Amino acid sequence: MSALTPTQDRMRIDARDKVLGRPLFAADIPLRGLLHAMTTPARIAKGRITAIDTMAAAAVPGVVRVFTHEDFADLRVTPATLGGNQPGFQPLTGTEIVFRGQPVALVVAATLEAATEAAELVEVTYEAAPFTATMDEPGAEPQPYETAVEAGDAAAAMASAEVTVDVEYRHPQNHHNPLEMISTTAHVEDGRLIVREGTQNTNALKFGTAGALGLDPQRVDAVSPYIGGGFGQKNVLQLQSVLVSRAAMALGRPVKLVMPRAQLFHTASHRPASRHRIRLGASRAGRISAAIYESDQENARYDHFLRSAHNEAVSRLYGIPNYLGRERLVRVDTNPPGHMRAPHEHPGSYAFESAVDELSYALGMDPLALRLANDAERDAISGKPFTSRTLAACLDRGAALFGWSERRAAPHSMVAEDGSLVGWGVASGAYKGTMCPCVARLRVQADGLTRLSVSGHEMGQGIRSAVGAELMELLPIRADRLEIRLGDTTAIDQHHTAGSWGTGGAVPAVRAVVGRFMAALTELGGPLRPGESVHTRLMALKRPVLEVEIEHLGTSQGPDALERMRRGGVAVVGPEYPDFVSFSWIAHFVEVRVEPTTRRIRVPRVVSVADCGRVMNRRTATSQVAGGVVWGIGAALREAAEIDPRYGFVLNNDLADYVVPVNADIGAITVDLLDIADPMLNASGVRGVGEVAMVGAAAAVANAVYHATGKRIRHLPIRIDDLL
Amino acid sequence: MHDDDRPPAFPLTRRDTLRAGSAVAAASVLPPLSSAAASTQSMPLEPGATTTITTVVNGEPITIAVDTRASLLDVLRERLALTGAKKGCDHGQCGACTVHVDGRRVAACLTLAAKVDGREVTTIEGLGEEAALHPMQQAFIDHDALQCGYCTPGQIMAAVACVREGNATSRERIRDAMSGNICRCGAYVGIVAAIEDAAAKMGQG
Amino acid sequence: MRAITYTRPATAQAAITAFAQAGEGARYIAGGTTLYDLMKLGIETPAHLVDVSAIEGLGSIDTGGDVLRFGGMATMADVARDRVVMERYPLLAEALGKAASQQLRNMATVGGNLLQRTRCLYFRNGASGLYPCNKREPGSGCAAIGGLDRGQALLGQSDACTAVSPGDWPVALVALDASVEVEGPDGTRTMPVADLYRMPGDTPHLEFTLRPGEIITAVMVPATAAGRRSTYHKVRDRESYAFALASAAVALEMDGETVREARIALGGVATVPWRARAAEALINGAPLTRERALATGHAAFADARPGRHNAFKIQLGAEVVADAVMIAAGRAS
Repeated sequence: MSALTPTQDRMRIDARDKVLGRPLFAADIPLRGLLHAMTTPARIAKGRITAIDTMAAAAVPGVVRVFTHEDFADLRVTPATLGGNQPGFQPLTGTEIVFRGQPVALVVAATLEAATEAAELVEVTYEAAPFTATMDEPGAEPQPYETAVEAGDAAAAMASAEVTVDVEYRHPQNHHNPLEMISTTAHVEDGRLIVREGTQNTNALKFGTAGALGLDPQRVDAVSPYIGGGFGQKNVLQLQSVLVSRAAMALGRPVKLVMPRAQLFHTASHRPASRHRIRLGASRAGRISAAIYESDQENARYDHFLRSAHNEAVSRLYGIPNYLGRERLVRVDTNPPGHMRAPHEHPGSYAFESAVDELSYALGMDPLALRLANDAERDAISGKPFTSRTLAACLDRGAALFGWSERRAAPHSMVAEDGSLVGWGVASGAYKGTMCPCVARLRVQADGLTRLSVSGHEMGQGIRSAVGAELMELLPIRADRLEIRLGDTTAIDQHHTAGSWGTGGAVPAVRAVVGRFMAALTELGGPLRPGESVHTRLMALKRPVLEVEIEHLGTSQGPDALERMRRGGVAVVGPEYPDFVSFSWIAHFVEVRVEPTTRRIRVPRVVSVADCGRVMNRRTATSQVAGGVVWGIGAALREAAEIDPRYGFVLNNDLADYVVPVNADIGAITVDLLDIADPMLNASGVRGVGEVAMVGAAAAVANAVYHATGKRIRHLPIRIDDLL
Repeated sequence: MHDDDRPPAFPLTRRDTLRAGSAVAAASVLPPLSSAAASTQSMPLEPGATTTITTVVNGEPITIAVDTRASLLDVLRERLALTGAKKGCDHGQCGACTVHVDGRRVAACLTLAAKVDGREVTTIEGLGEEAALHPMQQAFIDHDALQCGYCTPGQIMAAVACVREGNATSRERIRDAMSGNICRCGAYVGIVAAIEDAAAKMGQG
Repeated sequence: MRAITYTRPATAQAAITAFAQAGEGARYIAGGTTLYDLMKLGIETPAHLVDVSAIEGLGSIDTGGDVLRFGGMATMADVARDRVVMERYPLLAEALGKAASQQLRNMATVGGNLLQRTRCLYFRNGASGLYPCNKREPGSGCAAIGGLDRGQALLGQSDACTAVSPGDWPVALVALDASVEVEGPDGTRTMPVADLYRMPGDTPHLEFTLRPGEIITAVMVPATAAGRRSTYHKVRDRESYAFALASAAVALEMDGETVREARIALGGVATVPWRARAAEALINGAPLTRERALATGHAAFADARPGRHNAFKIQLGAEVVADAVMIAAGRAS
């Protein structure tokens, strides 16, 4: 097997299809006899349905059927079959309402227009109950704190620290809003139920649907070859998924439901609101000796699904010997929150890296110098070595690219020619180096075709290009006739793709399947000669095709992980392994300009330097990092769900009022990748990059705003309102 | 439409199609299909609820009866199988549905299909082809101006219009003129670079 | 959305006749960017659409005479790129160009845009009775009062309604004393743009003064030298493609360094396009300084009555006016 050298420059593998508008996303598949579905959302936040009148809805021309909870009462709620990583509530199975916007009826009609009209005509009578919409309202139920991270004696070290900060930050509820709205299309064919949904987890879709409907999972196919952005919102079986499948089975026709954007704010997951109290203790020389970090995170009242992990990554940013991280959930009456890009690491790093920034000013020390002075050689939490520890290199490289040495230390001291206040901020980020089991099948034909089927989902992060790169690095095949099949349970067994373990799981699996393939080929006719392609060799051997398949486990995983995956579960390993810990690293440098009169905040340039191990495709990885920075800017300056506690509903439930960055919000983003292979973690030397890209970005923006204005805003988003 | 040649999906009626009995039992507790179901093939709409439009889509003349309420986007996607234009919001807030009507970019989701009677519509499917990509399509590849690809058709249709409008003369103008197209993956830097590049090649930079 | 009928007459008279014949539930539709959007939300429930966008002659733009005349069905994009408008009336070009996106400006018309309905979140989200809203359902109350009111009006609101008039174009027109020509069953009439709008008072469901069956056939702006020294300044929650947090349309006539006559109107903060006459009075005849411009801005908000979350707009709005005054003054006459 070849050495872990830098990969060739290659275009994104599916870019050509995408610029032609050819990829068929889940809602794009034309099916004969397709029926359209639409849901009716609940108007109360909590309580129960006392009556439903579907007469008017059923009378709409074109309506085939109006389903209510009475039709779906037999559905089984099966979080356990899904590895426990699923919401445990299925709407439309009873009369209980647990959040506003919960679907209470499903209309199926011959046309979308008829379904939509009819859904609006379903008359529901409710008995409303008191509810608590946010964790700031009376009735919110804090759960006991759980210790998340503990090392040394943080309390004692804090008490004896020469300089301390004690600050609290707040993060609002955010919504993923991938541009592809979540849709489900189901139909029955040849005795199989085929479900198409933009999902990062066809495995959950397959097994969850089967479990809920009482079907043999081997008769259910889940297909999701292209996903129009996921960001974690498409991690799980959706509230609509089994309803649509059930409707398709009952009606004997294909049924499609595209959930409207406004309803997605309630039926799909979100990043929950959170509070973060951080205490840091340091010596006057700037050595951080103690950290105590306590966080509260909203969660749904009825669900046990989401735990926080705010401390996991930030406790590894620096060598802090005495560290205590405690986290708790606060239960309110909301739909279940979920994982949204860097789910814990983004809010955690926003708070922690803001606190570190505050410490630097308390110490009178340059924020970059403080970070570099607290670099770690080993993981202070576990005592284990890092597979790769390159944060300082990211910081150094970023500082040089950004020109950090020109920075004036004092806040409110840099002014542009047009009078704008200039602020420069820095923040670090880390994200766990994770892996998952993966199955890969490689088929090469003498006629030039190569087909690689692999566990993994393409939601735009570029996994197709990453696995394709590893294949082409190792195997002389025709690039123009390479087919890569992902996100399809009919192609190969699937594992949930999230948490930046897609690359770490799939790329080493490709290396392994190529190894097996080469062994088989060599056995047939000796090693390939220089310049000889596999296709030519197969031709010479008079073999039309050679195909091999392998199962690959994450580093340190046992066969049980594969078993768990094959039962529909999630089997992930990292960041702690038996002999080491593994993280990806990033440093963000941000310039903001604050208009002196209106206090508009702009971000003309960002420099981000990341280390994700060996870079499989520099183009797609660079795009990932730039995208993460855009997310950081959005989170720092724009995005928040506005919830009126009297009603319990996201008021700004569209893309005009939930303000995500547009083109004009984004200036120059310079990305550099260290590209240092990490062979200790896996044979391909790769770690994920999609999530670390965002970690710390919002903090760097917030720190730059402080540097520009001298105002420390301890909540996101930071808006004009805060600075006037 | 690749599924057109196949027989329509059939209902699950035979016990042996599914191993678990509960699904069959479940099906039996559902009320029988309403009488409307039998007649849905003909899509019975009230008189006046449909409108016949004659339009040219990607150079091809088309006459089609549409639900009068239907958006151009839904007609393109659900009736004409032109799924390049995407639905990201259905309220003119994201730009994923951008197509050209009489050469100008519009939001297909906020355009009543009835309104394009007598007009020409161009979608991503009519812009370039595999063998001869439009310079904007090539530029989007070259600058990796996309990630998931969902907003991409709308971005490209908007970008082509942006250049033709004379709005691609500076990065600032491009950024503003392209702000009606949200890219949640955050490919804006690449999109701006692609448009600068393509504008020069389109001779209108 | 309920089923609808649709017709697209070629003349104004035919449209007016079609509207009358359609009877109850008839609505005109032009670009449709507001109406169709609100139909999808269930807020507007017309039964019959009479499309006025293809009426012959209503797409014309005539900027040659003493009055700039824009046909009611000229698109916002077309007017925004008219050479005379761009060079001599930057506030008009900017007000149009900073509205929505190019896609929507290619659809929306300069007549129809005057009738854009509020973006009040409680109004837009309330189709199924989620929130009380006097605008949607008279007498039901107002959820925005005492609620999340960051986007609500601080000028012109009543105890019944605080919904903001969302437009940019009407604000610029009000600053320039523009008028509209209206054709209806009873013939043709003209009225100032400002008179199109009703204050909410006790009847926030009545937003416009158009009579049933009337069409805005033209928008007319009196030619003025003040047009050159003008701007439409808009601050929003992102750099583009968003409604105003606060905006100002300003046009100035100067004598050297002294302001002879200022026209100032506000957007994003009031229940109607808001002419700030008290602010104009403060700066008219005064030497132009940033301080005076800011005082002018504050004068524009002297009567502001903020709610719980929008008080920052008093300061923001004053700064926006001041910046707009300085930008306008900096332009060559």
